[in-house]
Amino acid sequence: MADDKIKSRREFIQGGVRLSLALALGGIGGLAAARMTGEKWVWQIDPFLCTQCGRCATDCVLTPSAVKCVHAYDLCGYCDLCGGYFKPGSNALNTGGENQLCPTSAITRKFIEEPYFEYIIDEELCMGCAKCVKGCTSFGNGSLHLQIMHNLCVNCNQCAIARVCPSNAISRVKVSDAYQVKGSFTKPA
Amino acid sequence: MKINPEKLPRLLTWSLAALALLSFLWWLTWDPTRSLTQSLPGMDNRGAGGAGDTVLIGALFDRFSDEYTPLGETWPRFRGAAFDNISASPVPLREKFGSSGPEILWSVQLGEGHSGAAIYKGLLYLLDYNEEEYADFLRCFSLTSGKEQWRRGYKVHVKRNHGMSRTVPAVTDSFIVTMGPRCHVMCLDRASGDFLWGIDVEKDYQSEVPLWYTGQCPLIDGNTAVIATGGTALMIGVDLRTGTKVWETPNPGNWKMSHSSVMPFTFGGRKMYVYSASGGMAGIAADGPDRGSLLWQTSAWNKQVIAPSPVCMPDGRIFITAGYGAGSMMLQLKENGGSFTADVLYDYKPSEGFACEQQTPLLWNGHLFGILPKDGGALRNQMVCVHPSDTRKVVWSSGSDKRFGLGPYFMADGKIFLLHEDGTLYILKPSTTGYQELDQAKVIADGHDAWAPLALADGYLVLRDSKTMVCINLNR
Repeated sequence: MADDKIKSRREFIQGGVRLSLALALGGIGGLAAARMTGEKWVWQIDPFLCTQCGRCATDCVLTPSAVKCVHAYDLCGYCDLCGGYFKPGSNALNTGGENQLCPTSAITRKFIEEPYFEYIIDEELCMGCAKCVKGCTSFGNGSLHLQIMHNLCVNCNQCAIARVCPSNAISRVKVSDAYQVKGSFTKPA
Repeated sequence: MKINPEKLPRLLTWSLAALALLSFLWWLTWDPTRSLTQSLPGMDNRGAGGAGDTVLIGALFDRFSDEYTPLGETWPRFRGAAFDNISASPVPLREKFGSSGPEILWSVQLGEGHSGAAIYKGLLYLLDYNEEEYADFLRCFSLTSGKEQWRRGYKVHVKRNHGMSRTVPAVTDSFIVTMGPRCHVMCLDRASGDFLWGIDVEKDYQSEVPLWYTGQCPLIDGNTAVIATGGTALMIGVDLRTGTKVWETPNPGNWKMSHSSVMPFTFGGRKMYVYSASGGMAGIAADGPDRGSLLWQTSAWNKQVIAPSPVCMPDGRIFITAGYGAGSMMLQLKENGGSFTADVLYDYKPSEGFACEQQTPLLWNGHLFGILPKDGGALRNQMVCVHPSDTRKVVWSSGSDKRFGLGPYFMADGKIFLLHEDGTLYILKPSTTGYQELDQAKVIADGHDAWAPLALADGYLVLRDSKTMVCINLNR
C-alpha cells in the first residue's frame, strides 16, 4: 500500500508544472478581471496648491497642453476690473487686445448689467499658462483655476508636468475623483 | 497623344515655370492670420450707462431710542483724530484676552460692506446700506449697548459688488459728514440727526464712481468739509453750516476719484491736503488766500485702483502704495520760496518691497508697518516692518505662519490691534526688531472679508467683517 503513494520523479515534475500553470493562468485571469472591473487612475491638479508657475503650458507632452483654465462661476465676483482678464495697469477696462492678460485671447468678457461682467473660457484657445489664474488669485476670489482635461490628457505613466511642478500640486487619483473644481469643492481645514 | 521627345524638356520647363508662378501667387495671396479675430473695444456689449436716478439725500429718518451712556472720548474719523491710526487715549487696555476670551459687549448685523465706525462721546456712527429698503443709512448706536438711536438716509440703488458701503463718517461736536457708495455726500446735525445739506458728486461734478464703489472717507477741517470729487473739479471745500462751496480745485488732467482719502499735511510753512487720485497725486493749499489752489502735483503715481491713503512724513517724504499689481512709490516734497515740487525717490512692484492693498500703513517710531498684498511675493499677507529710508528692505516680517489677508490694524495704549480678515483679533507688541504677538482670539465666528478700519474710544473697540459689527470691551 505504501508503495502506491510514492510518486515517480516524472509524476512529481508533471504535477508541479500543472500546478504552476494553473496558478499562472489564475493569476493572469484575476489581474485581467481586476483591470477590467477596477477604477483607473488619472492625474489631477489641486487648485489650492497650484502656484500658477506657468509650467503646465510648457511641460505637458501635448501641444497645446491638456491643462486648461476652468471657471467656478459661483465664486466669481463678476467684476468690471477683473484681475484675470485685464493686465495690471491696463489703459482702459474694455475688450481691446492691448488690455487683455490672456496671450491667446481665450477669455470672453460679456456685459450682464452694471456693474457685472461674465468671463467665459474658450477651452480651444486656452493653453494653460495660468496668467489669468494668477491675476484672479491675487486680486479676486480665485474663481479661475487650472484643471487637467481628461478628454485631452494621454495619462502618461509619469506626468511630465507633475515632475516639474514646484508645489507638488499634481497627483494621481482615482478616475472617480478626476477633477477638483473650486466652488462646489472647498479646501479642507 | 504622342509627345515628341524633343519637345519634352521644353514642356517640362514651361510646366515647372507655370507651377512656380502659381505657387508664388498662392504664397503672395495667402493670409496666415485669416483665422485670427481682432479684439477690439466694445466687444463686451457694454452700454453707455443710464442717466442715473435722482436721489433725495437725507429724505429718510427714523428714531428708535434716546437711551445711551455718555462717555468722554472720540474716534472722530478715518484714521482717528491725528490721521495716524494711533489712539491717544490714556485708557489702559488689555494685552491678553485671558481664559474667558474677549468680552464682546454686543453685535449687530449689517448690510454687506466694509464701512467703518466713528465714535463721539458714547455714540457710534456707521454708514450702512439696507438692501431691503434700497437705502443708504447713517446709523447711530449707543457705544456701550449697541442699541440703535436713530438713522438718517436716502433711497439709492446699490448692487452687491464685493460689498457696498465702505467709508468712515467724519464727526465733530456739531456735524457729521458721510460719503455713500455712489458718492452721495450727506451732512447732518450730529446730536439730532437733522439733515443739513447733501451733494450728489457723480451728478454735480460729472465724476466717475470708483470700481466697487467709493472708499473715500470725507474730511472735516474746521468749518469746511473737504471732498475729492474728480470729474470737473479735483477737490472742493464746502461750508459745513450752509453747504455752500467755498473753494474748488480745478482738474485739468481729468483725474478720477480713487478710494484713497484726503490727508492733511503741514510742510514748508504751508498746510495742504494731499490726495492720491486715479491719474496722479497732488497737494492742495488748505489755508491762506489761495486756499484750494494746487501747490504741487505729479502724474508719476498713476494707478487704476488706489485704496490706501498717502503717508506723509515730517521730512517731506510721502509714501504711497496700492494693490492690484501697482506697488509703491516714495516721493520727496521740496519747498523753495513758497513753491513746491514732488520728486520720485524710487518706486517698485509689490513683490520688490513694502506695499499694501487695502489699508494705509502705520508710521510709528520712525518705521512703517503694514500687511503685504497677495501679489507681494514670499511675504504676501504677512505683517512687515520697514524703515522709510528704503522701504524695499524688510526689517522684519511676521513669518509664513502669520498671514492676515487684507484686515485692518491700528495702535492704542502701546499695542497694535490687528484684525485678520477671517475675524481673528491679534494683539501685538509694537517693535522695530521683530514680530511679537501677545494674544489672539476669534471675535467674529465665520468671519469673512473683515476689511473695515477699526475704531476705539473709552476702551471700547469696534470692528466688523462684511456683515457683522461687534464691540469689545478692552478696558483692563
